[in-house]
Amino acid sequence: MVTRRVDLRSDTVTKPTEAMRAAMASADVDDDVLGHDPTAARLEKEMAKIMGKEAALFVPSGTMANLICVLTHCQIRGSEVILGDYSHIHIYENGGISTLGGVHPRTVKNNEDGTMDIQLIEEAIRDPSFEICYPTTRLICLENSHAHSGGRCLTAKYTDQVGELAKKYGLKLHIDGARIFNASVALGVPVHRLVQAADTVTACLSKGLGAPAGTIIAGPRDFIYKAKILRKTLGGGMRQVGVICAAALVALEENVAKLETDHKKAKTLAEGVNNIKGLKVDLASVETNIVYFDIQESLGITEGKLLKNLEAHGIFAMSEGPLKIRLVIHHQISETDVQYTVSCIQKIVGGLVGENGGN
Amino acid sequence: MRAAMASADVDDDVLGHDPTAARLEKEMAKIMGKEAALFVPSGTMANLICVLTHCQIRGSEVILGDYSHIHIYENGGISTLGGVHPRTVKNNEDGTMDIQLIEEAIRDPSFEICYPTTRLICLENSHAHSGGRCLTAKYTDQVGELAKKYGLKLHIDGARIFNASVALGVPVHRLVQAADTVTACLSKGLGAPAGTIIAGPRDFIYKAKILRKTLGGGMRQVGVICAAALVALEENVAKLETDHKKAKTLAEGVNNIKGLKVDLASVETNIVYFDIQESLGITEGKLLKNLEAHGIFAMSEGPLKIRLVIHHQISETDVQYTVSCIQKIVGGLVGENGGN
Repeated sequence: MVTRRVDLRSDTVTKPTEAMRAAMASADVDDDVLGHDPTAARLEKEMAKIMGKEAALFVPSGTMANLICVLTHCQIRGSEVILGDYSHIHIYENGGISTLGGVHPRTVKNNEDGTMDIQLIEEAIRDPSFEICYPTTRLICLENSHAHSGGRCLTAKYTDQVGELAKKYGLKLHIDGARIFNASVALGVPVHRLVQAADTVTACLSKGLGAPAGTIIAGPRDFIYKAKILRKTLGGGMRQVGVICAAALVALEENVAKLETDHKKAKTLAEGVNNIKGLKVDLASVETNIVYFDIQESLGITEGKLLKNLEAHGIFAMSEGPLKIRLVIHHQISETDVQYTVSCIQKIVGGLVGENGGN
Repeated sequence: MRAAMASADVDDDVLGHDPTAARLEKEMAKIMGKEAALFVPSGTMANLICVLTHCQIRGSEVILGDYSHIHIYENGGISTLGGVHPRTVKNNEDGTMDIQLIEEAIRDPSFEICYPTTRLICLENSHAHSGGRCLTAKYTDQVGELAKKYGLKLHIDGARIFNASVALGVPVHRLVQAADTVTACLSKGLGAPAGTIIAGPRDFIYKAKILRKTLGGGMRQVGVICAAALVALEENVAKLETDHKKAKTLAEGVNNIKGLKVDLASVETNIVYFDIQESLGITEGKLLKNLEAHGIFAMSEGPLKIRLVIHHQISETDVQYTVSCIQKIVGGLVGENGGN
């Protein structure tokens, strides 16, 4: 009889706190399309300041935020954007930049640490003298923290180098900062410094920060002006949206401080899982709140089977490929949840080792 | 609504299904008489998703009114983002398009070497630009018959479908029976903070959900907004009839003012347009500014044309106050231009 539920599928599962619910219920609102919702305005102003940009815009999701940024940087037909081969934009956003925006992607290999080699990025930039055959490169996208590599952080130094390269070739730099606050806390670098070299940044409110929904885009004032129109075009113009922004303001105030604890719990979880015979975690790769572990073939269990077994114990996670599982920590996962998770995995896997290799 | 939002039962609506969103979608599907429904952040996204999902194949064309909201007020997104070509047909004063003209606009497939392929007809009920006028079930059925005859789909932009339903005394599901898909706004007369519902066949809603994600409309614990919408459905549909009565009172009051004209027959729901006669010597912009000085906010709908929209948070005294203020402002002008 399972009484406990430990949801490690993603940090998007966070539910609004009591403080958020109270804030939502009493939010000062207005029509954000005909005018400017005052709570949305407050959130956007605060976020612009935190990100060190001129202005900011609230949008319903990270997908829309990236879509708006890529399309607004690449308004001219025939544009190309350079991004990681395992970036979220390229893999998990339905190819919208192309199917909806007509922008062509040029991928560069993502290294294990989430970076792309500067030299390879430079080689991917189109030579304008061949424009008869080439699309025009206008934009480079980075992702910080980089999800697919396990939530790994790009340093300010690396980001600045990519920014230098972009400037050299007259390109824009966009950072998919869905988990930029995690990166900032892990590196001990303020967000605005981390993204200084970028023209635009996105930051999710619905992930580790715990708000019910939404993402912020931050950038130059004239960019945000165009972004607002594209937001409307995509259908992201919401009326009394302050009800959600109110929760986001609470999130900013209360939950950024909790990210460090999330990272500590992730390390504890990672070490616990890595100690289990038959499972392997690349401990050096656990920099923020995401933990990947590999299931050794010798265990004779698929990732799907292991997930099902975990579910029976009330633990929810996601597969990230063959024999690979992802666990994501967030502020609504307690230390006891972490211990419980490690014990359950130990129990499930321990049984298998017994089966396959004797006692 | 605020209490419902604060206590809403929620979950990640992208990784799974937010329970409050699920409840709202199930309820709305039932009301609209369709298999399934989907919550989206706005009416613009709802129409965009529907047009693009009906027209998934490149080279598609959609027939719609020359003064439809989709064509005029949605940034041309169906084309700029979706690659769908619009073919407009004249909107009559009552919001309809002549059935014959719609038929003439349907592309002949034998000329497909030059023609895009017509796949969809869109109606709008109530029709905003004509003043919130209602399309009858009979007219809608006729357009539905035409669509079927040519193998086309029919979509209804039902942003204010509840207003039309109440004004005509016809249940929503009957009104939109002939349509494959319908949208209905929760954020307008129903009064929720945001959101619109798409309703249609189950397999259509499945594809719509993916396109919603692609457009960036996949929101996580979205139940906080859906909870407000459920309250709206319960409490505010009944108030629409009163909105319509207040609109008529407002319309008559304004029409009685010398120098202003309202086509009273056109006031079927909650929207009132009035024209400023040139003899008054005032622009719509100036009149709006004067109204603002009295705390009354309205919008211009073109040269010498102003739009007033009634909703449940406008009281009868607000209506009286509005008429008096307009009378005061305009009365002063008549005095100026024509003596006492």
